[in-house]
Amino acid sequence: MSHETPTLEAHLRDRLGSRYAKRVRATGRIPAVIYGHGQDPVSVSLDAKEALHFLHQGIHVFQVATPSGQETCLVKDLQFGHLGDNVIHIDLARVDLDEEVEVLVHLQFAGAPAAAAKSGVVLTHVLNEISVRCKVRDIPESIRVDLTKMPGDALHVGELPLPAGCVAATAKEALVAHLEFVSETAEGEAAEAPAATATPEVLTARKEKEGEGA
Amino acid sequence: MVMMPKRIRFRKQQRGRLRGNATRGNYVSFGEFGLQALEHHWLSARQIDAGRIAAQHYLRRQGKVFIRVFPDKPISKKPLEQRMGKGKAETAFWAARIKPGTVLFEIAGVPEDIARAAMARIAHKMPIRCRFVGRRIAV
Repeated sequence: MSHETPTLEAHLRDRLGSRYAKRVRATGRIPAVIYGHGQDPVSVSLDAKEALHFLHQGIHVFQVATPSGQETCLVKDLQFGHLGDNVIHIDLARVDLDEEVEVLVHLQFAGAPAAAAKSGVVLTHVLNEISVRCKVRDIPESIRVDLTKMPGDALHVGELPLPAGCVAATAKEALVAHLEFVSETAEGEAAEAPAATATPEVLTARKEKEGEGA
Repeated sequence: MVMMPKRIRFRKQQRGRLRGNATRGNYVSFGEFGLQALEHHWLSARQIDAGRIAAQHYLRRQGKVFIRVFPDKPISKKPLEQRMGKGKAETAFWAARIKPGTVLFEIAGVPEDIARAAMARIAHKMPIRCRFVGRRIAV
């Protein structure tokens, strides 16, 4: 880790279930659960503002201070709310700093290749995060990708500069970014031509006719 | 070109009801920014196409627009001054079923301010309230 592991203060949740979780959220906290390493799971709540601040920075590992002591935890899963972007629950797994884990790490793109400045050429980021296998203490917050030095029209996972101790778990041939050529015909006016009075092929139409004949 | 399916099993469908929120297609997957629906609606193929054209005119061949919804529901409508009865009418247009949370459009390859402006133009063409969203946290 290129940073100090942040500490989050956890309150124990004695009453469980969606109704009580909703009340916890109303007080500005996020329900969470700590599990793993053969110990019993513990239901806790974390300060929402603080936890989300660190999650948005790409931090995966926290020191969670519970009434029973401090535990090193890895963010294993997030549960999102009804519109798909508000975090409503956090899964934390107990880990050792020397344990090897697989995590998704955000790719931070910088610059653009010279060819992307031409009209009709679009630089598309196919992957915005890659899966990385490394020790817990080596998990990077993000991987910086300098696209000005992109070899050719495409950049693959195998060509990414990974931090020491990290191995890509995503396939090396997977496309990270590439230059795409937008054709003239895909543009608005050209595509505005009225559609012919085409109707879709009805798959059951023939069967109906056979049924009538029988 | 207005979108419609190539092949269908049945020519006409019952109307159905739109209830609840979107549980799939509710986050940005392909681009970097998206336009998310906040209401239920049948979004017609023409409305989707109007959004696409508005974005492409604004972006002027920079960036890429992804359409995340497809109009696969045939909506039938009786002609004007037609008496009631005589069976279900022919398909008038094709619509996509939109629930709150559905990501309608995505944009890739442009900075956030340009993407926001393009999405605002799309949102003006939409018959429902929409909001601008980015990618969500990955762990």
